[in-house]
Amino acid sequence: MGKAPEAKTASASPQNLGGRAAAEGAGPSATPAGSARRFRPSRAAGVAFLLGLIVTAAFALTSLGLYEHNESHLLRLRAREVGSVLTAVVPSVQTPLASAAELADATGGSPQKFRVFMAPYVGPGRQFASASLWPLRASKLVPTAVLGTAPFLASLPAQAHAFFAHAEKSPRLNVLGILSSAHPSLGFEFATPGVAHGFAVYAENPLPKNRRSSLASNSAFSDLNYALYLGHSQSHGALLVTNVQHFPLTGRHASTVVPFGDSAFTVVVTPNGSLSGTFFANLPWIIAVVGVLVTLAAALMTDRLQRRRVHAEQLAGALDRVATENRRMYTQQRSIAQTLQHALLPDALPQFRGLEVSARYVPAASGIDIGGDWYDIVDAGAGQVLLLIGDVSGHGLPAATTMASLRHAAQAYAAQEYRPATVLAKLSSFVDSTPHSYLETALCALIDVDAHRLTLASAGHLPPLLITGNDGHFVEVDVGAAIGVTSDAQYQETTIGVPPNATLVAFTDGLVERRGEILDIGLARLRDTATSQRLTLEDLVAKLARDLTSEHHRDDTAIVGIQWQN
Amino acid sequence: MAELDSDRPGELVIDTALDPTGAPILILSGELDIASAGALEATVASITAKNPEQLIFDLSRLRFMDSAGIAVLVDAARKVNGVHLRDPSPIVRRVVELMGLSSVLPIES
Repeated sequence: MGKAPEAKTASASPQNLGGRAAAEGAGPSATPAGSARRFRPSRAAGVAFLLGLIVTAAFALTSLGLYEHNESHLLRLRAREVGSVLTAVVPSVQTPLASAAELADATGGSPQKFRVFMAPYVGPGRQFASASLWPLRASKLVPTAVLGTAPFLASLPAQAHAFFAHAEKSPRLNVLGILSSAHPSLGFEFATPGVAHGFAVYAENPLPKNRRSSLASNSAFSDLNYALYLGHSQSHGALLVTNVQHFPLTGRHASTVVPFGDSAFTVVVTPNGSLSGTFFANLPWIIAVVGVLVTLAAALMTDRLQRRRVHAEQLAGALDRVATENRRMYTQQRSIAQTLQHALLPDALPQFRGLEVSARYVPAASGIDIGGDWYDIVDAGAGQVLLLIGDVSGHGLPAATTMASLRHAAQAYAAQEYRPATVLAKLSSFVDSTPHSYLETALCALIDVDAHRLTLASAGHLPPLLITGNDGHFVEVDVGAAIGVTSDAQYQETTIGVPPNATLVAFTDGLVERRGEILDIGLARLRDTATSQRLTLEDLVAKLARDLTSEHHRDDTAIVGIQWQN
Repeated sequence: MAELDSDRPGELVIDTALDPTGAPILILSGELDIASAGALEATVASITAKNPEQLIFDLSRLRFMDSAGIAVLVDAARKVNGVHLRDPSPIVRRVVELMGLSSVLPIES
């Protein structure tokens, strides 16, 4: 009985849902209003947000690491470049001094020649601020010729002595170091060793004020801060010059050492900006910001999806409740319909002399519909009994009401002592006078109790089973058209003699009909079940109802048994 | 009861086609019972509304038919003169026979 209830379910649902939605909207626990007041993200959204942040952080940190590594590498390259430039500058200091020393040796220390040679190198904006010629074998260690400013060394005899004593043995540029005084200067010397009357050429350069000197903004190294030290030390005392105001240099730095005579320059550089460019410097931040935005969007979307899912689940729950409610309603309706069905069937079968009668109605197992199966047994007078059994196609109230009117009409015809064929023909024309789309099969049997005679007519109905002892067979009846097919249907009667104590079982197709099985198999099953053991009529009908119908039965079933008592 | 297991709801599929003679054919597959009779009834009504001279029910793929299903066919036979059944299975054929409807619902030769 699938379709009809399903259709009702479908039409009932929207109504119920509407009612439910209205009730929820009015309820105090209405969730939409609650979420509008305060945003509480779902757990999945939180997880998505956290994952997004972790991924973003990982990308940003990786980018930062790569940037740092790149910056350090670039800085080392820049420091090396600075070193190369300094290395190129060293000869411009060393060469004039070496040449002047050679000249002094060759000219016996001529002050005149010395001045002429050194003049282009000394003065403001030139290589040296001060240059002087010192005879090393003289009794007193004083310069014999001075160009530019007076050398500070001349005012420090002890230091001069020690310096030149050391320098005499050294065939290269000797760096005196930073002369500590009010005006610190850097001194360097070149002497030609191994010559009897050796001369040393000494030069000095003052250090810039506060040892600070800026780079020109168009310089190749304008992107660097630097500090230049004398020697290998990076102590404050060894600082020659720097361009930063707040010394020492902090942060990322790289250093390089350039040989300078018997000493060296140490250059320390730090970047004063990003060496690889603004974009790469900002890339980690760009990644972080974009990542957080994408994460937020993803979290919001997850939250929305989660809410929709919860909503769908709530909806499914509501539908489930509606379905449960519908099931309850249909169960109720079904029991109403069954009550009606039983009301339409005879309460108690009439008793007839010499004849035992038993009947059973088994409703279909599922669905709300009641069947159209019916039966009746009426006294036809003159020791005769009229048995009627029928099956109106279709279920539900229309079938039940049709069944009721047919039953009453049949009773009327029986009362008029019509023969079975006449009853069926009259029923046929009765049905056809009303608009209908159903069929009815019916079997009409006139039983002559004392004469043991049976007269049958069938309107498309299955033949009854006649049981004698252990033998059973279906009575061969001339089958006419089912009632409701044509108004002028004609029916043939079949009359047979009945052995003593015989049993007649009339039934509707629910007892024998099975899906995927030809009817004859069902009929044989009925015959075998009915004759398998000797039973009282009451027990036989009960057994057939029990064994040949099941709780999955989709058609209702009527069984009527009649037994001659002699 | 194992033999009753097949007593479960089936489904009816209704296809329509045209015979070479121009007669409409309703091809029924599955099970025609009280549950599916309504659907067939609606389809039949839409066809009989056009007053065809013939109507053929192709039952070659119909596994089961109960009295409610037959009622729809008989109803069609009342409205259209030339209703024929095509290739019914023995099961369906026997139902038609036992209900005394062989003349109302003739099987196509």
